[in-house]
Amino acid sequence: MKNDKGKYYRRIRMAKRIVSHLFLILIVIFSIFPIYYVLLMSLSPLSNLSQMSVEKLIPNLTYLTTGNYAAILYHYPFLTWLKNTLIFSASATFFGVLLAISSGLALSRMNIPLRKVILYMMLILSLFPFVIMVIPFYFMFSELGLVNSYTGLIIAYSAGAVIFASWLIKNYVEMIPKDFEEAAQIDGYTKTGALFRVVLPIAKPVVIFALVLSFMGPYTDYALAGQLLTNPNMYTMAIGMYYVSQGTVSMNYGTYSAFAVLMGIPIFLLFFAFQRYLVSGFSIAMYK
Amino acid sequence: MVKKIGSWNLRSLLFILPVIVVLIFLDFYPIAYSIYMSFTNFGEFHFFNYSFIGLENYIRIIRSGFLWQLLWQNAIYAFGSVALFAPLGFIIALVMNQRGLRGKTFYRTAILFPWAYPAFITILIWQGMLDYRFGIINELLEKIGIKPIYWLGTPGTAMLSIILVNLWLSFPYYSYVFTSAMQSIPTELYEAAEMDGYGPLGRLKNIIMPMLSRQIAFVVIFGFIFTWNNFYIPFLLTGGGPGTSTQILITYSYSSAFSYLQFGIGAAYSVISILVLLVVVIIANHYSKMMTVLY
Repeated sequence: MKNDKGKYYRRIRMAKRIVSHLFLILIVIFSIFPIYYVLLMSLSPLSNLSQMSVEKLIPNLTYLTTGNYAAILYHYPFLTWLKNTLIFSASATFFGVLLAISSGLALSRMNIPLRKVILYMMLILSLFPFVIMVIPFYFMFSELGLVNSYTGLIIAYSAGAVIFASWLIKNYVEMIPKDFEEAAQIDGYTKTGALFRVVLPIAKPVVIFALVLSFMGPYTDYALAGQLLTNPNMYTMAIGMYYVSQGTVSMNYGTYSAFAVLMGIPIFLLFFAFQRYLVSGFSIAMYK
Repeated sequence: MVKKIGSWNLRSLLFILPVIVVLIFLDFYPIAYSIYMSFTNFGEFHFFNYSFIGLENYIRIIRSGFLWQLLWQNAIYAFGSVALFAPLGFIIALVMNQRGLRGKTFYRTAILFPWAYPAFITILIWQGMLDYRFGIINELLEKIGIKPIYWLGTPGTAMLSIILVNLWLSFPYYSYVFTSAMQSIPTELYEAAEMDGYGPLGRLKNIIMPMLSRQIAFVVIFGFIFTWNNFYIPFLLTGGGPGTSTQILITYSYSSAFSYLQFGIGAAYSVISILVLLVVVIIANHYSKMMTVLY
């Protein structure tokens, strides 16, 4: 009798395991499929979507080609788009995170006049999507003559990054015990010195998270860039990709896929390289 | 309090000053500018000589009846998305949280893919995959005997496609949040519950749900707030179409301004979108005290 019961429970546990694995495998297929699909398309000679078929989902080595990558690199202004994107993203990340480090440290460790008011405003502003700002920015920058300029967009993107990044850094630094700086101050550091030399290195995960997030915004922004940049020499990858998707710029589907891979893979790899920082960073953003 | 204000000095001001400048000139000024524009006839015919017209834009928007359609679509988009990605994330977390399950690292890594690849690009990949005539999704459905679906071509299926793509984009994040929340529950609690004879469902109902209720509420509210103004999925996947059936307030604000050149109307729609969110935040704050994160 007892033995039977044990067998019964073991069977139930076995069934539970099998169902769990089946469910997770389905989820994995769902998550990976679009990335697999675009990677495969980028290596297939496809002039348009109509040549796609289910059979082609199984890679055939004799059929695969790197021709699409050659096409996107040499027949389209991809490198110009890449250069512009990197200028915008890197500059905005640099300025945005620099300001965020200074204000994040100040808000968590210094006596700031109207501290609470500033924090409430930052929290409310972080609810506003960047797209809301496009209409006013468009006219502000037109009046200032900052259309089709690097400066204008870099200012806008830095501003877009700084609020959320300050918020993150402030939250993280508040979790670091004050003992570290106090010890450093006994060792002869000034208060500011202790903040930068001792607290900031401990806050590395959140700074990396802020860097990656700030980089992502401009990297994939069309909403603002598409309106402020009208000179094709200033286009970014996101603008290029949007125009191809709308049919304004015609491109083979295979080449378009190669474009999607070249633009996406660096971010994809960056994400996995910093995965553990990113995941903990997000929970800091949410709760304290 | 007075003492504190007295003790701040020039150095701490220097640290915060750049951000205050940004807040004033690149956040408050543009927002004020937007609100001001929403009270003017700023548009194609009054580009440089626009005038103050009071509430006329808002009255026009309300009278047109289109506002209710947009609010309805926006609500379906936001609620529909949260109603799918939060439970899926929770279920995945529950399954992954089983003791002794093999291959956890593999599953966890694979689930990160949609989150790791820039959404801007994957939305456009989905657009190709959902194509009616040539898209791979319909080709796959045909293989298992299902008739092709006009994914992006009819109002109902277009909204469904947007929500499904949003599910794909968002579930990794939610399964991560819930997994880490479940891991924070002490294992002794599970063991105690097992000793008391609770099955998996009993443990879910009596331990996991009560322990995580605060996080669940938080995740749902933030998911809603984030999705409400999540511009790129409708903008890139359907462009608001067919017709205006998948427009939400923020995408319609954008097209009013930059496609129809009615900047005043566009600004008014974005103001309405933010007002709705503020109401949601105030209500949510009343119940869950989100703002306590400040202290």
